[in-house]
Amino acid sequence: MDPIPFSQPAIDVASLTKRYDAVTALADVSFQVQAGEIVGFLGPNGAGKTTTLRILTGMLAPTAGTVRIDGLDVTERPLEVRRRIGYLPEHVALYPELRVQEYLYYRASIKGVPGRARREHARDAMERCAVTDVARQLIGRLSKGYRQRVALADCLLARPPILILDEPTVGLDPHQIRQTRELIKALGRSATILLSTHILPEVEMLCHRVAIIDKGRIVAVDTPAQLGQRLRGTQIVRVELRLPAAPTANAMGVAQAGGDDTVIESALRELPGVARVTAQRREDLPAPSQADGGQARQAGGAAAFEVEADQQHDIREAIFRLAVERRWALRELSQQRASLEEVFIHLTTREDT
Amino acid sequence: MSSLAALTARELKAFWYSPVAYVVGALFLVLQGFVFWLLVAALNDPGTDPSFTIAQAFFGPTFFNSIAVLITVPFLTMRTFSEEKRTGTIEFLLTAPVRDSQVVLAKFLGAWLAYIALWSSTIVFFLFLRAFTPFDWAPVLTGYLGTWWLGGVLIAIGVLASSLTRNQVIAAFLCFVVILLLFSVGILDFFFRDPETSKLIGYLSLLDHLVDFSKGILDTRPLCYYASLTVLALFLTGRVIGHPRWRS
Repeated sequence: MDPIPFSQPAIDVASLTKRYDAVTALADVSFQVQAGEIVGFLGPNGAGKTTTLRILTGMLAPTAGTVRIDGLDVTERPLEVRRRIGYLPEHVALYPELRVQEYLYYRASIKGVPGRARREHARDAMERCAVTDVARQLIGRLSKGYRQRVALADCLLARPPILILDEPTVGLDPHQIRQTRELIKALGRSATILLSTHILPEVEMLCHRVAIIDKGRIVAVDTPAQLGQRLRGTQIVRVELRLPAAPTANAMGVAQAGGDDTVIESALRELPGVARVTAQRREDLPAPSQADGGQARQAGGAAAFEVEADQQHDIREAIFRLAVERRWALRELSQQRASLEEVFIHLTTREDT
Repeated sequence: MSSLAALTARELKAFWYSPVAYVVGALFLVLQGFVFWLLVAALNDPGTDPSFTIAQAFFGPTFFNSIAVLITVPFLTMRTFSEEKRTGTIEFLLTAPVRDSQVVLAKFLGAWLAYIALWSSTIVFFLFLRAFTPFDWAPVLTGYLGTWWLGGVLIAIGVLASSLTRNQVIAAFLCFVVILLLFSVGILDFFFRDPETSKLIGYLSLLDHLVDFSKGILDTRPLCYYASLTVLALFLTGRVIGHPRWRS
């Protein structure tokens, strides 16, 4: 499978699945990052962000699915892939007994930076990450912010075309967060960046596109602006209706089996502001109770729908009026949360600055 | 190759920077110095068999020799992987463009070179002795060689133990027990009358080969045996590190 040289994405994740015994950490995760993009990987804690990034860097092996970095399969050619990636893990752990410069020289050498270029690469990386002033200090004595930036400098040492940053601003003070974001923005001019975060404003500030993950599944991939629109713009209502028994149906001339659903569906669709109507499966409906003696089924049955509409109209009242008008029995009418919204509730939407 | 050198240098530096190495090193030398003095005193006794040499006494599988090996190896190897797993630096290490085999080999080489350096420093004792009395250097050199190669096996086992846990105490104790059991293989000889079985046990027993080395006999068979065990332990370590289940 030869990749086409110019159109191939920098990061290509296809149907990635990771299972630990009974627990499924990732289920069928797919997304792409084009060269030169800054993509945010957004999701609440425990959604599977770190697991995904660890698979991307070869730290973890996937249960199924493929990851390609610059067209190279991560499991087949791990070394070449790692050479193209600068990875900042979630928990920054550096050898505390080494001095910053010493550590960076060591990292440069294991990253294959040739001996004569090591000093220069280290100096550049330290300058970009503003750690030059602590070059001769022991890492163990540095503040968390400095250590984070030393780890970021480590990412840049071999000048990789792709940066994978796991929660780069977590645990930093507001000033350091601002600095780190400026740095990421600057780095984005010369590298492809995939960064994970659970902070919504961070994504809006930095990223061209966002992939949202929740409970191991990709919920949406879009630009931050459009995601916001999708989020604010819609409401979802679940409605269950039952057409009256045969006579009325006959009068309307649509008594044939299965026809009821279509009648209701098209009526719902004509309501103002409705974007989408999805019929629910029959199995999802509660079984007819003894009380109505299974009449509902005999009469052609009840039908349930999910109605998606914009938020300018309160669709619930319109549905109620429709049901009254047509003499349909309204069995259920409830507001649902969009899956996307469900995710956003668990995200950090504000920052204390 | 240069990344292997860099990784190994980092391992050696870790010893250099760690107080554990100095404490273990100092106590090792105190112990060995005392043992050496004791042995020389015993050999000076007119009742001692005159064909018994200082090399045989010092490098042979004596109680003191076994103890010295048994307590230094776990201390040298316990931090290799456990420490990196506990602090999380292992994630930086394993996502760098280096092979698992290079990482394992570097960990082994670092600890082994430290072990070799520790033992080699006892050459000072022999130099002192040489000032007072002539002796044959050849058994001393083969004695060192045998001790180093045996150390290779034990260090590899210690590195394997360290790769299995993030707790250094568990790693050290696991290594200690495994080495003790391996050292005890020779004792099985008491339970068998069959000469063939005895020969097999004699060959499998790690310590018994030290008798030959300390007499100045350079036999390649035990060296091959030691080397095979070392490679086996390192191979298993590589599997542990590379196994997805252990990579979290």
